[in-house]
Amino acid sequence: KRHRPLRRSSICFASLLCSYAINPQETLTSEMNAETSDAPPTSLVDRTVVPGDTVLDLTAMANQTIKLGAGLRQDCDTISVMKAGKLRLSKPNKYWVESSHKRYVPCVEDTVLGIVVDCKPDNFLVDIKAPTLAFLPVLAFEGGTRRNIPKFEIGTLLYVRVVKANNSMNPELSCMDETGKAAEFGQLKDGYMFETSTGLSRMLLSSPTCPVLEALGKKLSYEIAVGLNGRVWVSYYHS
Amino acid sequence: MEQRLASTSRMTVNERKFVETALASDLRVDGRRPFDYRRLTIKFGRSVPVYGFTASATEDGSSEVQLGQTHVIGFVTSQLVQPYRDRPNEGTLSIFTEFSPMADPSFEAGRPGESAIELGRVVDRGLRESKAVDMESLCVVAGKSVWSIRVDLHILDNGGNLIDAANIAALAALLTFRRPECSLGGENGQDIIVHDPEVMEPLTLIIHHLPIAVTFAFFSEGNIMVIDPTHKEEVVMGGRMTATVNSNGDVCAVQKAGGEGVTPNMIMQCLRIASVKAADITSKIKNAVETYNTERTLRKVKRHSSTVTHQVSVPDVITKDKQAENIIRHQEEMIHHEPDRISNCDDEMTVDTRTCIKTEGNSRDSCTDPFVGGPSNWDPYLNKLSSNLVGKSQDLLGPLTIGKEQQEESKSNKMAVENSPEYATISSNSETLGVSGPRQQTDVAKSLKDAVKSKARKKSKASATTR
Repeated sequence: KRHRPLRRSSICFASLLCSYAINPQETLTSEMNAETSDAPPTSLVDRTVVPGDTVLDLTAMANQTIKLGAGLRQDCDTISVMKAGKLRLSKPNKYWVESSHKRYVPCVEDTVLGIVVDCKPDNFLVDIKAPTLAFLPVLAFEGGTRRNIPKFEIGTLLYVRVVKANNSMNPELSCMDETGKAAEFGQLKDGYMFETSTGLSRMLLSSPTCPVLEALGKKLSYEIAVGLNGRVWVSYYHS
Repeated sequence: MEQRLASTSRMTVNERKFVETALASDLRVDGRRPFDYRRLTIKFGRSVPVYGFTASATEDGSSEVQLGQTHVIGFVTSQLVQPYRDRPNEGTLSIFTEFSPMADPSFEAGRPGESAIELGRVVDRGLRESKAVDMESLCVVAGKSVWSIRVDLHILDNGGNLIDAANIAALAALLTFRRPECSLGGENGQDIIVHDPEVMEPLTLIIHHLPIAVTFAFFSEGNIMVIDPTHKEEVVMGGRMTATVNSNGDVCAVQKAGGEGVTPNMIMQCLRIASVKAADITSKIKNAVETYNTERTLRKVKRHSSTVTHQVSVPDVITKDKQAENIIRHQEEMIHHEPDRISNCDDEMTVDTRTCIKTEGNSRDSCTDPFVGGPSNWDPYLNKLSSNLVGKSQDLLGPLTIGKEQQEESKSNKMAVENSPEYATISSNSETLGVSGPRQQTDVAKSLKDAVKSKARKKSKASATTR
């Protein structure tokens, strides 16, 4: 008897990729558009880059929209690297730099595990291993109104999505996906949480299923939630 | 406010519940059994020679202890002070703790917090009240001057159970600490002369027994007890007790500051378990200290052999090379030869020191080592010099041995007489090194001035490159 492990993160990750395919014109606040041409950049993709490397020369590319993720920034006509790591490309046009750290730098559309630190009238203060605490508005839940605000005690573990992430403001979170559905976000009950590096959590979420998770799934039935901020929650399988 | 909230480490309710339910079935989060200690590693500081005229600054009395993820280092230093009035013939022992902010987000630099003071008190009480360190042997002049031993404990990483790790670090550092030998001298026999560790071997402290601290954590209203709690278990635990016992079964100290109530039966059980664990940890500490001491004596033996051969071969070199003469003069003054003795017996010395050419060749590099302190590769002048001397000494080896044999046959008696006073003066000189403590300062001053006068550039270059 083999139970498929329920992996909330993989569902959300897949939905993210789908949303990019459907809405290429949608610009999220932390990403920048650039005028580009048809030719894709040189083969720095999937290679190690260090801060200062020029990744794309935009004069060669025109009339193309590309999206920049973590670790890249636009300097007039070039895209240069800010963080050391591996350059990644996800079709059609999203680039970002992947690196592994013990601390997390918030990035929009990341799914993370947060711990409630404080409750305010307007939002919850949530710790997501970022330099600052993040805000989770009390209404950012499916069907959330002033009347049915959830009561989270201090120390509650939540599976949330990052909505806004500027380096000058506190990040903002949400327990809904873009369409407004709950989609497995919210409080995680029972189980055990441990912390890892961001690289390991990305590996656990990688697209052909990580062999560790498969091997575990053959022996036990479990539930796992992996946050891109380096937190992993495991529990027995709630049917 | 938000910064402070952001930086403290947090436990989720999931983790709390998990730790408690797992303990109810005798399972700990890191897979240990309830009465198992984590892996203990004890390391010591290595000897670091300081080049120049001063003695080598050894790292005796420093230890680094790792108990799982908890990391503590201890340093022991000593100083001559006036004793307390009510104990005029006892030394003093003081423990200082430093909770570095890199150990835990909740540690703040500056004033020690409550847990820091408690840790210092527990370690101090274990050592002082049980009279583990002999205080009366630290007295130099009763009522005037005693040794004050200071133990500094630095917490580098808080993985739980700091008290046990800090206690082991303090004990390991005290066991390997050596204080300088001192004696009374001077004009009226009242001045205290502290002997240089190079000149007289420093002494260990007299430690009668080792008080080992064993910490217990209580959960679920005192029903579940574990040893050596980790950081997560410490957040969840209801109460904590530390029992300091030694391997003889004596209870040196018990500390239970607040927390859940515990039955007397539980406390007696804890003390019994603690004495078993104390024997185990005592043997680990003693093994580590023994390894360190054998290494240390091996290091000392090597250095002394090089200086002995060097002493005897000194005058040989003077007759050959003018430049070598100046270097060798510095070396002489370092080991406190009287310069005039060399000039007097030059003739005899040239003859009977030919026998030492063999050893001189081998030990040339090691002879220069105490002087410049390290491989002479970086100093081209010294390299050239050493190869020069080796070459010359090897040239002379052939004809001179023949000459020596001839002379030996002809005037064996005279040589024997001459040899013995030379060797006698050499050996007596080495014995008087110890007593020449008071003159050490003046000798050093004289030699520094000579160095500046004769070969100022060479001296400053050597010291510049070693610094």
